Amino acid sequence: MSQWIQLFALEFAVVAIAALVLLWDAFAPRTGRAVGWITALLLGGVLAASFFVDGSGAAPHGVFVRDAWVVFHERLFLAAGILGVLGSIDWLAMRTPKRQAEYYALLLFSLAGMMLLAGARDWILLVVCFELMSMPLYVLCAYGKQDGPASEPKLAAEAGLKLFVTGAASSGLTLFGLALVVGMTGTSHIGPIVTGGPVGSGPAPLTIVGMLFVLAGFGFKVGAVPFHMWVPDTYQGAPTPFVAFLSVAPKAAGLATLAIVLLGGWSASSSVWLPALLVIAGASMVVGNFFALPQTDARRLLGYSGIAQIGYALLAIATQSRGGLAMTLFFVATYVFTNLGVFFVLHAAAEEGGGHTLARIAGLSKRSPWLGGALLVFLLSLAGIPFVAGFWAKLFVFMEAWNAGLVTLVVLGVALAVVGLYYYLTVARSTYMADGDRSTPVRTGFALGAAIVVCLFFVVGLGLWPKPLVEAANHAAAGIVSGR
Amino acid sequence: MSHLLAWIVAAPAIAAAVLLVLPASARLPIRVVSLIGAVVACAGSVLVALTYDRVAGGMQMPDDWALVPSLGIHLKLAVDGWGVALLLLTGVIIVTGVLASWGVEKRGKEFFLLLLVLVSGVFGVFVSQDLFVFFLFYEIAVLPMYLLIGIWGASHDVPKRGPFGFAWKRFAVGGKEYAAMKLTLMLLVGSAAILVAMFLLWKEAGGTSFDLAHLEQTKFSLATQNWAFPLLWLGFGTLAGVFPFHTWSPDGHASAPTAVSMLHAGVLMKLGAFGVMRVGMVLCPDAAANWAWLVGGVAVINVLYGALCAASQTDLKYIIAYSSVSHMGIVMLGAATLTTTGWNGAVYQMFAHGIMTGLFFALVGLVYERAHTRAIAKMGGFGHVMPAVACFFTLACLSSLGLPGTAGFVAEFLVFLGAAEGAHSWWAVPAVIGAVVTAVYVLRACKTIFWGPPPTGEFAHLTDARSTEWAAPIVLGAALILFGFWPRFLLDFIDVASHTFLARIAPFS
Repeated sequence: MSQWIQLFALEFAVVAIAALVLLWDAFAPRTGRAVGWITALLLGGVLAASFFVDGSGAAPHGVFVRDAWVVFHERLFLAAGILGVLGSIDWLAMRTPKRQAEYYALLLFSLAGMMLLAGARDWILLVVCFELMSMPLYVLCAYGKQDGPASEPKLAAEAGLKLFVTGAASSGLTLFGLALVVGMTGTSHIGPIVTGGPVGSGPAPLTIVGMLFVLAGFGFKVGAVPFHMWVPDTYQGAPTPFVAFLSVAPKAAGLATLAIVLLGGWSASSSVWLPALLVIAGASMVVGNFFALPQTDARRLLGYSGIAQIGYALLAIATQSRGGLAMTLFFVATYVFTNLGVFFVLHAAAEEGGGHTLARIAGLSKRSPWLGGALLVFLLSLAGIPFVAGFWAKLFVFMEAWNAGLVTLVVLGVALAVVGLYYYLTVARSTYMADGDRSTPVRTGFALGAAIVVCLFFVVGLGLWPKPLVEAANHAAAGIVSGR
Repeated sequence: MSHLLAWIVAAPAIAAAVLLVLPASARLPIRVVSLIGAVVACAGSVLVALTYDRVAGGMQMPDDWALVPSLGIHLKLAVDGWGVALLLLTGVIIVTGVLASWGVEKRGKEFFLLLLVLVSGVFGVFVSQDLFVFFLFYEIAVLPMYLLIGIWGASHDVPKRGPFGFAWKRFAVGGKEYAAMKLTLMLLVGSAAILVAMFLLWKEAGGTSFDLAHLEQTKFSLATQNWAFPLLWLGFGTLAGVFPFHTWSPDGHASAPTAVSMLHAGVLMKLGAFGVMRVGMVLCPDAAANWAWLVGGVAVINVLYGALCAASQTDLKYIIAYSSVSHMGIVMLGAATLTTTGWNGAVYQMFAHGIMTGLFFALVGLVYERAHTRAIAKMGGFGHVMPAVACFFTLACLSSLGLPGTAGFVAEFLVFLGAAEGAHSWWAVPAVIGAVVTAVYVLRACKTIFWGPPPTGEFAHLTDARSTEWAAPIVLGAALILFGFWPRFLLDFIDVASHTFLARIAPFS
């Protein structure tokens, strides 16, 4: 029993915080910012505890394994969660002061789902964790349905519905595929596909169909082409501080799941899924980068940019090497801080400027040089420019992919990175060179400002000194793929 | 002094970091801190030149820090003879550049900050001995240009012309933002090509190290070289203004503010040529010999085409910008000869053209600030009201056309000599014709603007240079003459490096 508690200590703690927040709100409703701050601080405590609690081990039958891989992801999700909470505090206290606790509780439940997901080695646990992660997100997506600047249509309900419908459909797709895979292989453990035929024969046709359905289901979750339609609409409609969280943590969880399934379980059957994965990765890079070009709403633009970024991450998974997986982790970790930062700055600017279109955030750097500078740093990181974290991320991915022989996709990716730079620079152009209709400094709440500073610290810090994260990622990846 | 090279690279960056915490209203402290950063780097460069052992040659003053050990990326610094010459150039240009932009009032803090970051990258490129770090610094040197031109640049009208005239309005041709975006994207496409070539070489060298010394010892297969060299040539060559990838240069230089034009045309374009020679030709010697006909042929086009374009311009800044395209052609021509003389001339031309074009842009900036026009047709007789500017401009013109006694002469003479010695001696003929066309357009511009009857009307009360504005003309003008009469000081450095590098290529050509 004590071993169980140790194994799931951090997840229990997160759920306990969620319960605490809910109870506290029920018995002593507050309208200030205390709930948010307490959530953030407690989560910070959990993150700190992750460095002292050694919960490595496995649950019976190996359904859940806790190793360096899980620890890496737990810390990443906790960090994203803390920043997500910090970024929402001011907005929630201002817009929906009476309904704060449920927001945090939902976010925490989703967080617990993600943390469990990284260690799941059984299909049933995996699907349950995935749903635990996804359900609260549907609700949160529509949380601010009456909210938003007067100049913009209220799209939150539409965003929530879109996410819900595609999310539910993709869950159905995954489950259908799993029914085939589990039925054909006779085990719910995530492991090599047992063909049952003579040695060297591939999986049975029905199993292949199942595997591709599962892949498509996860494709929806991470927003890869051709399963990406919900991304820009949802990003545009949902509350921006939440989009910041939505755009990173669930994506990271989805990629982790893909890695567990494809590299951990199905590595021997890569001839089935690798072509599909390569097509998905290439298409995501192309579609994401080119569809971002004509966007005038910064959130839609970032939505398409996110699709492109997922393409790069999938490229790293397609290397099927430990190094490649490690660089996926590095990529995702830097992406978490960068994208959170970009959305937070955008949120701060949009709250004051009255909208998220590029025209509305024009002149930001003149009004608030620090915010403008931070936005520029985040954009450069997304574009992959040296001395910010995103550069190393892209570079490492390309290097590993090159080593794995995916030369065509690397050349494509490098070329598309230039296209990416164009639209990231159009955002910078509007904040630096265009004149907005306002000139007063942008006021940023303390919590939001703190979140931006933390993101900035990591993006610049990892850009100057990527070594620690590279080592941590290499260590973590060894839990899934052995060898080089 | 230990870690001298690291200090040279760090000094502008540290100054930039100090600027970050200064309030934007602190006008003078911002400028003084920038100047200190620039002067320290410049003094460090002079110190390097004085302590470099030019008899021994080779890589000196090494520094090494592991950056990403698992991939073999090291922050490895050392300087060779070429590096010494280019460090000096960068040091001189940044000091005069800061002084020339003393009067930038619009968002001054950010301007100086970006300028210093940029120059830090330039210094870094010239002393990096790790291909990867080389590339990092290269990017740092290229990117701030987007904001520097986009925010502080000047827009101007470009008449609709050519088959793409219909798109002029859509892309706001002539606008500073157009120029900034065009420059950034074209150079970034070049960077992408460099990155691919880097991977190619790194992979074949074992995938363990980006150390240039390690890569130099690797014998790359001919197939790899034949792919990598053109990529490097196009990638770096875009920044060096290689035809037909030079089109960012006139727009960018014409739109950029004075100090940025000085730095960009004066130093940054040299990064490109330096990259082609130091990385492309030295690492891929067989391919360099194979492709020499193309590199040299295009360089000849550069010289002639750039000169003819310059001759047909009516905007003063465009004239100087196209003259840079033409002069960078001479650098690339010298590189393509694959002879010691030619290479010495190429590097000397980098230095000479850097100083000269820096002087040109500083003076053009002075004239533009006073006359508020760059159309030479409107100007005339300015020599009467700004005699010193006229005098220095004439000096720059004379160096541009290669008059003996100026630094330009030494460089062009060596390149022409190298071309005549080399495998394709006919290159010398069109190159010399290009020099003649240069004489036509610079002298005509000089005559139209500065000589003739005294100006009347709005131009009658123009003034000569003032206070900090003197720095650039005097320092750069003096350098032009000094290195025209005493080329040995630089050539000793350059020659020892050229010999070492060329020894790798000679067996193949």
